Amino acid sequence: MIQPQTHLNVADNSGARKLMCIRIIGASNRRYAYIGDIVVAVIKEAVPHMPLERSEVIRAVIVRTCKELKRSNGMIIHYNDNAAVVIDQEGNPKGTRIFGAIARELRQLNFTKIVSLAPEVL
Amino acid sequence: MWPVLRSRTCSLSSSSSQPSLLLPLWKRTFSSSSVIDGVNKNSVLELQEIEKVLTDVKADDVKVIPVPKHCDWADFMVLATGRSTWHVKNIAQALIYKAGNYATRGAEAKQKQKGAERMMLPSVEGQAGGKWIVVDSGRVIIHALEEKARAYYNLENLWTPETMQKDLTEEDLQKALVKVRRINNSKKRIEKNA
Repeated sequence: MIQPQTHLNVADNSGARKLMCIRIIGASNRRYAYIGDIVVAVIKEAVPHMPLERSEVIRAVIVRTCKELKRSNGMIIHYNDNAAVVIDQEGNPKGTRIFGAIARELRQLNFTKIVSLAPEVL
Repeated sequence: MWPVLRSRTCSLSSSSSQPSLLLPLWKRTFSSSSVIDGVNKNSVLELQEIEKVLTDVKADDVKVIPVPKHCDWADFMVLATGRSTWHVKNIAQALIYKAGNYATRGAEAKQKQKGAERMMLPSVEGQAGGKWIVVDSGRVIIHALEEKARAYYNLENLWTPETMQKDLTEEDLQKALVKVRRINNSKKRIEKNA
């Protein structure tokens, strides 16, 4: 359940470290974003000497949420943090590697690139 | 759009009962039915066909990487390089066209006819840009990349088994898990003192 003002960790090596969601893309008045949704976010904290800087506005895909993700077979997944992966307008990830486990729902939502960079798919 | 589900439904009769008994229970239901003797039972495109198409469109540096066992979501990664964004787009187009032909040949009936098998097309991602296009045909995933993008993402390094462990070494992990104490709410830039 990511909404504007939610702080997110970054799950890739793009150089950002903390994001803050400022808008959810999808509908005009959408409340919450879940795994696989694209949000507009601002970089709150960045690694020095990397292309991405603090207070830059970027797009990101939510890959982990504290709010549990339910599957139709009864499986429930929830993570300890809210995390996102920085992407550009075309959907290419900015970083080259992704850290941590990723849900396989992302593949069905057409984020195969992120899934293929991830070390583990749940 | 739903490659996994699609590939699962098309092979329900053949291989749903037997394949993934080795997996733990929680992985079994949603995950794949794995490869049986190297033959892709349930992918839209066959590996040989993909290679043929890729040589036909003159894709450079084609690499087929069998995905390590613990990644159950795909069996093969095919990497191909295009010389320009147009070339990359054409590679993807050729593959989709081939998959379309293949699907209609299998169905032998009109699309909306009752009882006809659904035509299955691979899902494609990144077609607008042309830097990196992924054609996801179930068990085989084809990455068509521009030269720069290929060097940047370095996918073969990620998926080749011997380098996979090395890839997540200490420095990478430390970069990811640096502990940060201060939360600075002021609008000023943080002074980074090493």
